[in-house]
Amino acid sequence: MSLAIAGMGWATPLGSGVDAVWDRLLRGDEARGQKITDQLGKQSYTAFRVPEFALTSLTPHPRLRRASAISRFAAAAGLEALKAAHVDVDEKTAERIALVFAISNGGVVYTKRFYSAIVEAGTQSASPLLFPETVFNAPASHLAALLGVTGAVYTLVGDAAVGLLAIKMAEDLMAHAEFDYCLVVGAEEVDWLLCDAYRRWRLLRFEPPVEAFRQRARGMILSEGAGAILLARNGSPTIELINPGGYYRKRSEAEEILKRILCDLNETEIDFVVCSANGTFVDEAERKALAEIIPDAVVYTPKPALGESVGAAGLWQVIIAALALQRGALPPLLHVEPTKQLRISTARLSLANAKDAIVLSCGVNQQAAGLRLSIR
Amino acid sequence: MDQSGGAKGKARVAVVAAGVVSPLGFGLSETLDSLRNARDCVTPVTRFPVAQCRCKTAGQVPDERLLSNQGDNRAQRLHRASHMMIEALEEALAQEPQFKPELTIIGTTSGGMSYGENYYRSLHRHGSLRHSPAWIANYPAQKPVIDAQEAFGISAPCQIIANACASGTNAIGHAFECVRSGLYQRVLAGGYDALSELVFVGFDSLQASTPEKCRPFDRHRTGMVLGEGAAILALEDLENALRRGAHILAEITGYGASTDNFHLTQPDPSGVGARRAMERALKSADTAATKIDYINAHGTATPLNDAAEGKAISDLFDGVPVSSTKGMMGHSLGAAGAVEAVVCLLALRHQFLPPNINFRGTEESLELNIIANEACPASLRTVLSNSFGFGGTNASIVMQKFLPRQGHGGQVEG
Repeated sequence: MSLAIAGMGWATPLGSGVDAVWDRLLRGDEARGQKITDQLGKQSYTAFRVPEFALTSLTPHPRLRRASAISRFAAAAGLEALKAAHVDVDEKTAERIALVFAISNGGVVYTKRFYSAIVEAGTQSASPLLFPETVFNAPASHLAALLGVTGAVYTLVGDAAVGLLAIKMAEDLMAHAEFDYCLVVGAEEVDWLLCDAYRRWRLLRFEPPVEAFRQRARGMILSEGAGAILLARNGSPTIELINPGGYYRKRSEAEEILKRILCDLNETEIDFVVCSANGTFVDEAERKALAEIIPDAVVYTPKPALGESVGAAGLWQVIIAALALQRGALPPLLHVEPTKQLRISTARLSLANAKDAIVLSCGVNQQAAGLRLSIR
Repeated sequence: MDQSGGAKGKARVAVVAAGVVSPLGFGLSETLDSLRNARDCVTPVTRFPVAQCRCKTAGQVPDERLLSNQGDNRAQRLHRASHMMIEALEEALAQEPQFKPELTIIGTTSGGMSYGENYYRSLHRHGSLRHSPAWIANYPAQKPVIDAQEAFGISAPCQIIANACASGTNAIGHAFECVRSGLYQRVLAGGYDALSELVFVGFDSLQASTPEKCRPFDRHRTGMVLGEGAAILALEDLENALRRGAHILAEITGYGASTDNFHLTQPDPSGVGARRAMERALKSADTAATKIDYINAHGTATPLNDAAEGKAISDLFDGVPVSSTKGMMGHSLGAAGAVEAVVCLLALRHQFLPPNINFRGTEESLELNIIANEACPASLRTVLSNSFGFGGTNASIVMQKFLPRQGHGGQVEG
């Protein structure tokens, strides 16, 4: 089933607002790294954070007063997507909107704070105010309450492929006539603990830049924020086909599942691919798969500019692909060495006649998925 | 309405296999035995210290059985949740060895949380982090599902639903919709959760868990006890299943979901969220409230949940037998809806009403027909199962005994 993207919104380390962030991406801007320290360890890390100014347009709401940053990012992105689609949510329309959330690490800041009290001062110090915010579906619940959505609200958990899996779930939900729209939101927040965990997993580097497609992967930089798309039955651009992939058992097998996904999506001539290369083993898997299956397509990854936002990453990629199709341009790929195997552009690229694009997501935790976007 | 169940013009959805592990036992047979004997499987918590907590009990899956068949080093690194998922899937695939799902939808709330706790505690005390890569790799919520699929050569994409305590029922309900709409022929659905200190202490901090017995719907109920487990149902387009001569354990005929935006942790006291989910499930099943023979309630035994759910049931149904089976096994959160779907499946197959234990009497304002303390035989055709969770998520499914029409080649169990 073909679904249209009726509205988009995001809160990113480059700010918020579809147009403002897009302009910065086209200019070749990249997020500014911020040092993160914690008393848990001596090591400091660098992450791309959402700047305070990005959330100033968010109207105060009782549900967001104590909510974690992830909920505020999600609210900002979700509300922008609805506004862009000129959808006013009232009591009647609220029943006909489904809400699907994509999350990987969830409310890690409050989860750490809650558990640290237990570890440091005993179970009697556990905060009943913090605990509810540790639950994966807290951000979805807050946004549902903001909008007054009373129907289907789902939170999906996974790795960086979860954003596309959430869009697949939205497609399945939209097969039912009871929904006119499905708002898909991906969100994540950053904490020292996450940086440390990914570093111990040998996936993180201490300082930017994120260098995509290097022969020897140097690691990713974590980032935070949210992306949202409002799906409807009519409009443009359209999501023509979603391949929910599956999973790979070992990192060395990621390439094979990506090839299968690309073969499935490659029915028409593909103009460009927005992939998920982030400075880890993912890059090599994507490079080989893309070089073999779609050698002529231009390849772009937003992660050198925006970092690895895991749960939000897939939504950001889809928004970038949709904007590139609508506006006929692709941002420059930053910090990349020329390679004969891939068509990449280190300068802003005009795509005046581009009609079809693929978004490819390979997570670091065994999941992979892809989708094809079109504009006619 | 189609006399043999399901709404007109849509595919009917069969349950062709099921597997479960919970404090009630390993597998359908042990679970049935515990239900029939109203066994209280809640025990003192042994997995982590609870001396400072109000509540000191939970429904626990014993490690000596769960971890007894670990083979290689890799299996030993897996989280307990992975082992529970593997047990449940193994049982389901023993009934349907050729079942190849196109999609797997599983509910959970906390993934491999205890590995996250290990990691944090090691950092905090500057202890050994030698095992941290394995903890981190096995912590994510999708990992136990992938582990279970990998163990049996299944490569389906996984959707992991984290809708708090409604996750398991949401997963089964969404899987039902996927098959009923014709988008998929075969889907695995279920839920899992393993007990963890963070979650246990969290519910204790909210004073939602009880230092006493868990007494769902009792007028003197004082709260819930936590549990753990995993359950899986194999769903298939009924016509397909019949054509290949599959055993039909039951049908799923309806699903309803709702969200009440009252509070992050408390249900709307009017019961509107619960009522809306049940009404939508009945509508989805194209059946009337009077046709429901049994309700497996969410019934956590917290004063607020049972009051809101009880009111919704009282308002919508007239004297239908109701039980919450959480008094026997605790509340297994993301697994609860899936385990309770298996309870409903067993009730339909073996024609009995599962008991609501530790029950002494309900308040007069709730007109509920509670199945008090003992299982009893009954003629069951259609049953409903509820799950509600934090965030105001509410989910209900309707299940039905499969009655073959003339000419159907399927094999009927039960």
